[in-house]
Amino acid sequence: MMRNDPIKHVFIWPAVLVVLAISIFPLIYSLTTSFLSYRLIPPIPPRVVWLGNYATLLQEPRFWSALFTTTLIAFIAVGLQYAIGFGVALALNARVPGERLFRVALLLPMLLAPVAVALVARMIFNPTMGPLNQFLAKFGLVNLPFLTNGHWALACIIAVEVWQWTPFIILMMLAGLQTLPEDVYEAAELENASAWQQFWGITFPMMLPISAAVVFIRLIESYKIMDTVFVMTGGGPGVDTETLTLFAYQEGFKKFNLGYTSALSFLFLIAITIIGVTYLALLRPHLEKRR
Amino acid sequence: MSGQSLTGLSPWSRRLVAVGVLVWCLITVFPLYWVVVTAFKTPPGVVGGPTYIPFVDFTPTLQPFIDLYQGIRGEFFRTFRNSTIVGLSAAAIATAIGAMAAYALVRFEFKVRLGAGLVFFLLALGGYLLFNATLGLTRPQALLLAFPIALIAAVVANRLPLPGPILGNEDILFWFVSQRMFPPIVTAFALYLLYSEIGRLGFQLIDSFVGLTLCYVAFSLPIVVWLMRDFFEAVPIEVEEAAMVDNVPSWRIFIGIVVPMSMNGLLATFMITLAFVWNEFLFALFLTNSRWQTLPILVAGQNSQRGDEWWAISAAALVAIVPMMIMAGLLSRMMRSGLLLGAIK
Repeated sequence: MMRNDPIKHVFIWPAVLVVLAISIFPLIYSLTTSFLSYRLIPPIPPRVVWLGNYATLLQEPRFWSALFTTTLIAFIAVGLQYAIGFGVALALNARVPGERLFRVALLLPMLLAPVAVALVARMIFNPTMGPLNQFLAKFGLVNLPFLTNGHWALACIIAVEVWQWTPFIILMMLAGLQTLPEDVYEAAELENASAWQQFWGITFPMMLPISAAVVFIRLIESYKIMDTVFVMTGGGPGVDTETLTLFAYQEGFKKFNLGYTSALSFLFLIAITIIGVTYLALLRPHLEKRR
Repeated sequence: MSGQSLTGLSPWSRRLVAVGVLVWCLITVFPLYWVVVTAFKTPPGVVGGPTYIPFVDFTPTLQPFIDLYQGIRGEFFRTFRNSTIVGLSAAAIATAIGAMAAYALVRFEFKVRLGAGLVFFLLALGGYLLFNATLGLTRPQALLLAFPIALIAAVVANRLPLPGPILGNEDILFWFVSQRMFPPIVTAFALYLLYSEIGRLGFQLIDSFVGLTLCYVAFSLPIVVWLMRDFFEAVPIEVEEAAMVDNVPSWRIFIGIVVPMSMNGLLATFMITLAFVWNEFLFALFLTNSRWQTLPILVAGQNSQRGDEWWAISAAALVAIVPMMIMAGLLSRMMRSGLLLGAIK
């Protein structure tokens, strides 16, 4: 039942005002700035260039490489997170021995500061003094260039992302698994369906809506990745691991090229929107089939 | 709820699954163990190659923490205080006004005309351009002037019979949550420019408590509204209806009945928000430079300042991590009562 009482405005307006002020303000501000040629250093008066900044950016290989890097990190990391996270959630839901003990430890990483995690990762990936290289040396792999080779560095960043955010998937999938009705499984049991068949026939389809939501959240969040990369490689070697946010930060905060950076962040917004809409469009038929 | 999906497995497969989970658990825990151990090492203990067990492999020392406390590696004490103050106040404010909004969206009916929303956006954008370009006002002045005008016009427009669809509570909720989709760099950078121009008008927001907290409140609100809506929906409406029969005003129903009944949810939301603010890096990087610097910025800075002084880096990382570890323990205790179940529907 919905009530109608003038006091509802007192309840909702503070939140609406704060969000409007802090998110719509800057949006208008950077939207208008993105059509200007505007630099703080050296101080040149702003000049209207319309879509000039966008055109320059679309021809800039560094933009495309940053977009590609970000996409690569996001998709591989989220894919791994989903696979591992779903697996662990299934095991925990099935009351694997020692499950209670695991829970706290398994959820810990996602609450830790990404910068601190990245610092720890730097130590672990250190080629001479790090524990990982000592471990791998036993298998004859000595001094792998973890953070100094472009491909390796990318893999390391993905590994750190997976380490940090798989817990989120575990948490959500576990909560979802606990809401599944038991009688379906009992029926499957009577039909002598194997565990494998039960998973693909019942668990996976029933978990699809939650999976879609969780993957969507992680994908969008992964596109924002900045702090991990900032600390671990600083975008290097060269610009091999530079992500979109980092690129925008370098352009804006180091060079104070305001118009250009605003255009860049809007292209970023457009890219995320395209990916989000495509994702939802691809998934919609699968989600609606079940209803 | 017992493990349906594993009952069909043989004992061997069960063991295999247990081992798999154990391996993932070790992978999760090892870096944490490593950072704890390294924080108690002496310089030779680090340079000599990896060592793992205190008192056996190396002699632990408290020196890194003493250095930290004395402020040899940046002002940790003050930064820690900053992070705590900003985190607690932003989380408290966001939880409070977010919970109010969530309650309003659950129990009251809202109707917003899409036309009114458009009026707001167009007037804000147009007014800003007009004031800035023709009247020669500075950019923040133009924005600050255009904003209330657009807002009032939109509220008035909402009462007029405009054509176009009428948005309900679900759409307002979607609007709140969709704020999370924006890449923060879009806002962080613009906010930095806006703050610094407002600073030139004499009201300092960059590197200030108000500026940072305001921005964190705004960015936590979507999560708070989203989470709290589910908690409030779980509160049985009969209790509220009984109170309404006795003519208890709505605000007293909210504070006296609904808030106590969803205390667990409020607490969890508060802690999640606190963790989010505590760990946040990008906004702090843009919006602070010295006085109100938060822990993540200082911790990130350790890296470039002292390349291989791992004992110091570890101690610094630990300071940023430990409060959240304690919170994880608290959170997981609450989660056992099925707390986050509703949030993912």
